[in-house]
This record gives sequence, structure tokens and C-alpha cells, in this order.
Amino acid sequence: MAAELLLRARNISYSSSQKLILDRVSFDLYRGQITTIIGPNGAGKSTLTSIVNGLIDNYSGELERLPGLRIGYLPQKVYVNTLMPLSVERILQLTRSVSGSEVDAALAQAEVGYLKNRQVQSLSEGELKRVLLARTTLGKPDLIVLDEPTAGVDVTGEIKMYELISEFRTQQNCAVLLVSHDLHLVMSKTDQVLCLNQHLCCSGRPESVSQHPEYLALFGAQAADSIAVYSHRHDHVHDVSGQHQDHHHD
Amino acid sequence: MTELLDDFLVRSIIAGLLMVSIAAPMGCLMVWQRLAFLSDTLGHAAVMGVGLGLLLQLPPMFGVLGVVVLIVVSLSQATSFNNALSETTLAIISHTGLAAGLILLGILPANTVSLEAILFGDLLAVTLTDLGMILVTTLVLAVLLLQHWRSFVAVSVSREIAQAEGIAVRKVQLLMYLMIAMLVAVMMKVMGVLLIAAMLVIPTSSARVLSSSPERMVMFSALFGFAALGGGIFSSFQFDWQTGPSIVLSATTLLLITLLIVRRVGS
Repeated sequence: MAAELLLRARNISYSSSQKLILDRVSFDLYRGQITTIIGPNGAGKSTLTSIVNGLIDNYSGELERLPGLRIGYLPQKVYVNTLMPLSVERILQLTRSVSGSEVDAALAQAEVGYLKNRQVQSLSEGELKRVLLARTTLGKPDLIVLDEPTAGVDVTGEIKMYELISEFRTQQNCAVLLVSHDLHLVMSKTDQVLCLNQHLCCSGRPESVSQHPEYLALFGAQAADSIAVYSHRHDHVHDVSGQHQDHHHD
Repeated sequence: MTELLDDFLVRSIIAGLLMVSIAAPMGCLMVWQRLAFLSDTLGHAAVMGVGLGLLLQLPPMFGVLGVVVLIVVSLSQATSFNNALSETTLAIISHTGLAAGLILLGILPANTVSLEAILFGDLLAVTLTDLGMILVTTLVLAVLLLQHWRSFVAVSVSREIAQAEGIAVRKVQLLMYLMIAMLVAVMMKVMGVLLIAAMLVIPTSSARVLSSSPERMVMFSALFGFAALGGGIFSSFQFDWQTGPSIVLSATTLLLITLLIVRRVGS
């Protein structure tokens, strides 16, 4: 069964203040797949998600979205506005009207049901992340965009969070676009990796990307080892052939 | 009914109630989006609008509307998505507007209009026509607020999330600026620019400490606004103080009392 194509990006380039940030990046997002963008600081990861999200529109290249594509978004940093009273329950209904039972279910799944009546200002960073992660699944999104969802979360929390994201993907039958810099934890749940450093260094299934010379040059052999170990220990369904490997080089 | 409206006190109380009712949700939105300073800027620039209007022999309201709309439209064009209005820009416009306004008023024949009337208006001198204008403005703003409330709140919480999830943030923002401009321009004659600016921010701040949801904060802002209005009109009669400044001081007194009580209860 071929998965539904939700978004097609071709040769996306973007410069800000005459500095090139993205250089001819191409990729596809399919329903039911988790795509992870990895790359060093300043690689253009957040810029790329902003373009996918429609936050930046003065890029060059082609971006086709499924008409009426519904996005759920967790930004890298959410500044909590102390001037505004806002409960957790209310922030889950921020952009779309959602029933009370859907709110309860989403919070329960993210294991933060007990926070429902708390004010957003009183949450810890980790709690806020989980609440906002739960929020992205509401209103039947086609695509969930998560910009470093685990920043400020401890390692156990992180593993749980990735499991949760993987659950959402199956349950909602949506696509997930995930930005991460902690590679080894992400890899086992990912269908497609985009290794970004202004240009797309390499992309494809995690096992193949982790062996790619440009990836190794960026992250070192140590990273490749930890991925291999982690994905081996955790999951045996990956095909190791790396057929989907895809090079973008000129 | 018509006879009742003949009474200046009845007219001014109705005008005040309408103004406070609409200032509550507008003020909350402005505070949430850190735009409190914008009302000040528009207020000061409105002085220039009055001067221009009089110079061109137009009703001052049109001069004000022209100037404030020009300012909010250029502000919304000049800011990029990620950069909210800078305080410095607002301050520059504010001072320039006031300075230009004072010079314009100085050019006009003496006693055409007093600065005090522009700053604090004259609530007790509200005419039937003024009342009609205020009523229409209040209704228009109320309808727009109801229609776009979810978007306004979402944009106040996070511009990024709102935009990604299908809300046209820049349009919503421009609409909000235009609504603020309309409020300032129409209410100015009766309320004065300083009174409007104060009523957008002070009752809202009292309401913040008591509220657990955005809508409750609007409701409490209105209640604090009504109380300030009552207290202001009362002390104006009782002590023969000017009405506008009395309302502002009533609002501040209420804010201080609220803070004291909340601190007591909290400790």
C-alpha cells in the first residue's frame, strides 16, 4: 500500500540577511511516517520546519501541500505569557474547538491528565512540553511538526516521549516531522532521516544514513555506533538493506 | 426614553458604560500581546490628528482616524512576523505625534480646542450624536471580537502555533490594530486619549490577579471598569474634580486595593 503524499518540497532555498540558510533541499512527507531532521546547530533545521509550517514564505523552490493540510505544531520554545490566565485545558483548545473528552484522552495518553486544571504558568518545562505535545494531536491533524520536543526533558522522559510520538503516528494516521539533535534516541522510531547542514547531506532510512560518509563527518563514528546498538537492541523490524537511501549531491 | 436621554448625566453614564464594556476585551487583548504602550502612542498621535482635522476644517474625529489608521497600517507593514512592535518605535511615534500636535494646536486660532479636552475629554458633555457614534462603534467592535475571539486569543498565546495551525496571523493582527485605532478615534472626544489608554490597561491589571481564564479576565476587567466609572463620576460630583482624571484615579485605587487584598489572602 502506497502511503499518501502529504507534502512535497523541491529545491527549497532560503537566505536571511544575505546569509544562505537552506540550499536546494528536497524531500517528501508521507502519511503514517515519522521523518526526523538532524543536523548541527545552525544547520537550518528550525528554518526548514518554519517553511513547512507556513511561518516563512519568502523562500525559493517549490512546496506543494495537500490542500487543506491540517498541522499540529510544537515550537522549540514557547514563551509562557504571564499576563494571560490560561489553564492547561484551555491551551489544548487554542486553535480548534475540541470536545472535553478528546482533551481528557489526549492528556491521559501523554500521562499528564492530572495537570488539566492547572494554570500554564505553574508548569515545569517538562510538563509544559508534554502538554503541548498532547495539544498537537487534537483536531485530527494530518501532520504533526515537533521542533526539538525533548529539549529540557530528562533522558527517561525523552525515550517515553518518542514512544508517545510513535503511538500518535499510528493512532492518528498522520505524518510526523521531528527536529532533533539527539540522534541515537530518535533513530529506532524513525522512517526517514533528513541529515541537514544547509544542504541535505543525505537522507533515507536511519540505518543507511548512519553509515553515510557525510553523516559520519558531521557527527563522528561514535554516533553511528550508538545508533546501531540502540536500534539493534530495541527493534528488529528495520530492513538493513537501506534501499531508500537517497543522495543529494551535485 | 428620549426625555431620559436629555439628562446629561444619563447620557454620560451610558457613554461610560459602553466605553468600559468594550475597553475590557480590547484592553485584555492589548495587555496579552504587550501592546499596552500602543494605546498611549495612538493617544499622543491623536493630538496631531485633532490638529490636522481642525486645520483642514474637518471634524477632529476624521483627522484622528486618518492619523491612527496610517500609524497602525504602517506599523503592521514594517514589522516582520517574528518581531513584535518595538517599544522604541512606539516611543518615537508617540513623542513626535504629541510634539506635532502641540505645534498644530498652537497655529490654530486661540481657544479652538484645549489640550486638556483632548487628553481627558469631557464625559459630562456628551451629546446625543456622540452617544450614537459610541453605540455604533461598540457594536461593531463587539461583533468583530465575537467573530474572531479564538484567533485573537491564539495569536496572543503564540503567533507561531497560530500561524502553523491555519490562522492568518498578520491579518488578525492588522484587524486588531485597526480596531484599536477605531476605538481611540471615536471615543476620544468624550473620553479623551489618556482616559482611553488608562481604561484599557488599569482595570485589566486588576482583573489579571483574580482570573483563571481569558474570558474571566475580560469579565473582571469590565467589572473593575464599571466600578472605576462609578467612583470617578461620584467623586467628580462630590469634590468637584474633573471627571476623566477622577475615573483614572478610581481605577488605580481599585488596583491597589485588589493587590493588597490578594497579597493578604495569599500570605
